[in-house]
Amino acid sequence: MNIKKYLGPLSKDNPILVQVLGVCSALAVTAQLKPAIVMAISVTAVAALGNLIISLLRNTIPPRIRIIVQLIIVAALVILTDQILQAWFYDISKMLSVFVGLIITNCILMGRIEAFALGNKPIPSFFDGLFNGLGYGLVLAVVGFVRELLASGSVWNHKIIPDSFYAHGYMNNGLVSLPPMALILIGLLVWIQRSGSKTEKI
Amino acid sequence: MKNFSNKYIFIYITVLVIIVAVLLALASITLQPRQNENRKIESYTQILMAAGYSGNEISGRSVIKTYQQVADSVLTDNNLLVIKVKTEDGSHNYIIPLRGKGLWGPVWGYIAVAADGNTIAGAVFAHKGETPGLGAEIANPQFSDEFKGKQLFDENGEFVSIRVVKGGVANSNINPLHGVDAITGGTVTSNGVDKMLKDCLGRYKEFLKKLRQ
Repeated sequence: MNIKKYLGPLSKDNPILVQVLGVCSALAVTAQLKPAIVMAISVTAVAALGNLIISLLRNTIPPRIRIIVQLIIVAALVILTDQILQAWFYDISKMLSVFVGLIITNCILMGRIEAFALGNKPIPSFFDGLFNGLGYGLVLAVVGFVRELLASGSVWNHKIIPDSFYAHGYMNNGLVSLPPMALILIGLLVWIQRSGSKTEKI
Repeated sequence: MKNFSNKYIFIYITVLVIIVAVLLALASITLQPRQNENRKIESYTQILMAAGYSGNEISGRSVIKTYQQVADSVLTDNNLLVIKVKTEDGSHNYIIPLRGKGLWGPVWGYIAVAADGNTIAGAVFAHKGETPGLGAEIANPQFSDEFKGKQLFDENGEFVSIRVVKGGVANSNINPLHGVDAITGGTVTSNGVDKMLKDCLGRYKEFLKKLRQ
């Protein structure tokens, strides 16, 4: 199996930076690194499993109700994820609050199911979902890292910026902890990604 | 494209929905005890933190054991819940639960009143979804620690609650014994906490007065 053809979502076909999907949750859950990573893992799991299940069922699904079937599968996976987080990662599930439930509305999931899983075999579909989730997660991790560092001087809840900085007048930037700065950061990432890749200009 | 009959479509979607429903119900039943325990641990931890416990005794699952040893739920004369907690130095704190509104959703907390019915021994605040870095700072110990040593009654024995003062207590005409500094940039949340303290503690006025005597 050629793994290379699935790597697109990590950069040149990134769901957030190029397709500009899933931006809502990318703004909302990236104030700190930890919830961002957990959100990324949740979306990756749901995307990979959703693609796998739909691909397994693809020849039995009547085209007229395919969207309903896709929604049922994705919704079920999301509810399962939410329940598991509440049972085993209670603190993080509180931080993510409604955004776990809103994974259902994340366009990356339905997009990949509709565009890929319905027409491809289970294993390639699984990897397609997996790498799209990872591409999404990569952006979340970068944004979460920068925001937590600048907004609270810490990474993964560990203080990084030493007290001596604060003693000399360094201050945490409260603005970075708000969603508008996340949008600006994602904009900067889009810029960096576009200037580096050789995709055609629109 | 294959053609599917209406009958097939109906049966297909019905069977699918039933399978999914059964799976989700199973997952919910299996995970529920653990989820409920998590919620219990969370509120026990907050109650014991308000009473001044910290470190190992309230970390993780051991909090349940500690709580059962030191805490007792009692009712006031007007049937309000108070949690009586034996503190580490052997005296008793009375923990009063607080419920209120923030900017985006509910805020809540527990406030520990010392045995004199007047002095605040500690407080813990939590919220559902206040703005990180602004309103969410009420959950920060820097804010709740301000409450330690504050008093609920003035020198004439009148109930005055604890005010959360915008712009800082030092710049206002409120006695520093009855006020704490609000959160910068978290005005609506701070006002919510202020109102929550006044409303919730106000209902315990008679209980606290009795305690003072």
